[in-house]
Amino acid sequence: MYRGREGQWAFVLHRMSGVALALFLLLHVIDISLVMWGPDGPFNAFLAFYHQWPFRVGLIVVIAGVVYHALNGLRIIMMDFTEWGVRYQAALWYGVLGLTTLIGIPVLWKIVPEILGIA
Amino acid sequence: MQINVKIKRYNPEADARPYWAEYKLEARGSDRVLDVINHLKWEVDGTLAFRRSCAHGICGSDAMLINGVNRLACKVLVKDLGERITIEPIRGLPVLKDLIVDMEPFFDSYKAVLPFFINDDPPPPGERYQSAEDRAVFDETTKCILCAACTTSCPVFWTNGRYLGPAAIVNAHRFIFDSRDQGAAERLGVLNQANGLWRCRTAYNCTEACPRDIPITRAIEEVKRALLWRGA
Repeated sequence: MYRGREGQWAFVLHRMSGVALALFLLLHVIDISLVMWGPDGPFNAFLAFYHQWPFRVGLIVVIAGVVYHALNGLRIIMMDFTEWGVRYQAALWYGVLGLTTLIGIPVLWKIVPEILGIA
Repeated sequence: MQINVKIKRYNPEADARPYWAEYKLEARGSDRVLDVINHLKWEVDGTLAFRRSCAHGICGSDAMLINGVNRLACKVLVKDLGERITIEPIRGLPVLKDLIVDMEPFFDSYKAVLPFFINDDPPPPGERYQSAEDRAVFDETTKCILCAACTTSCPVFWTNGRYLGPAAIVNAHRFIFDSRDQGAAERLGVLNQANGLWRCRTAYNCTEACPRDIPITRAIEEVKRALLWRGA
């Protein structure tokens, strides 16, 4: 493993979240399109299937991926268009991680009780 | 102090694949890694192959992957690495033997960006005048020694060896921002191709690996903006 620093890990996470979100989006479009077969079709069955706890955990990961990818995308725009962004890229990345965690708190607040079956 | 040196070795005539060789030896904290591998080659195993020339951080021959980071073996001290030292050839270029890689693809990328002064105007009677301010714009990128530490630290280059890489872009920057040069449009045209400038994903490994402390990512971003605003 190359011992890169913040920039390398920002890139790796950005790429991983990007690929994961692209795959998720594909799946999402397919399952939502099942609604075309009406209420008695496969849509509701799929929805019930997705309510199982592994998919709830997956939902947390998807939200974290979306938030990270969006915020790091803003970091990349700052780096691409300003000298300042390049100079403070590492600090900006910690900011991205901090904000992603902060936004994750209400997400966990909502979803974890559902996973534990107490909501 | 007693140190443990692990070197990724490969002899294409004898080995099916690279292997790790371990050596225990005495070294001083003030020794450079180059001193250590010179000692190994001269006193322990003469078959160990690596490049070195000036041994003072100028020629750029001895870039290696040392303890997980690209550096020049002649510029890193044992005391800064500790008792365990791991040395691999730089990544993304074909290994010829032990720590020697084929640098030709690297130099092909370098040549592709036309790294020479282009100005078709007849030479003035005196110098081609350039103000100190205009010179300062590309000062950092004149410092490149073509050691390939940057290009071979780039995750994009590891997976796509046809990417021109940071070193080529740095050397393009050196001329694109030279007020006396007239070849910027041609160079930006080269950099605008599929495996050019836009492959850069700003991982900053290049900037951290550069033994000359060139702010490489900053230079690449400056060239990106030049391409964006000036066009190619």
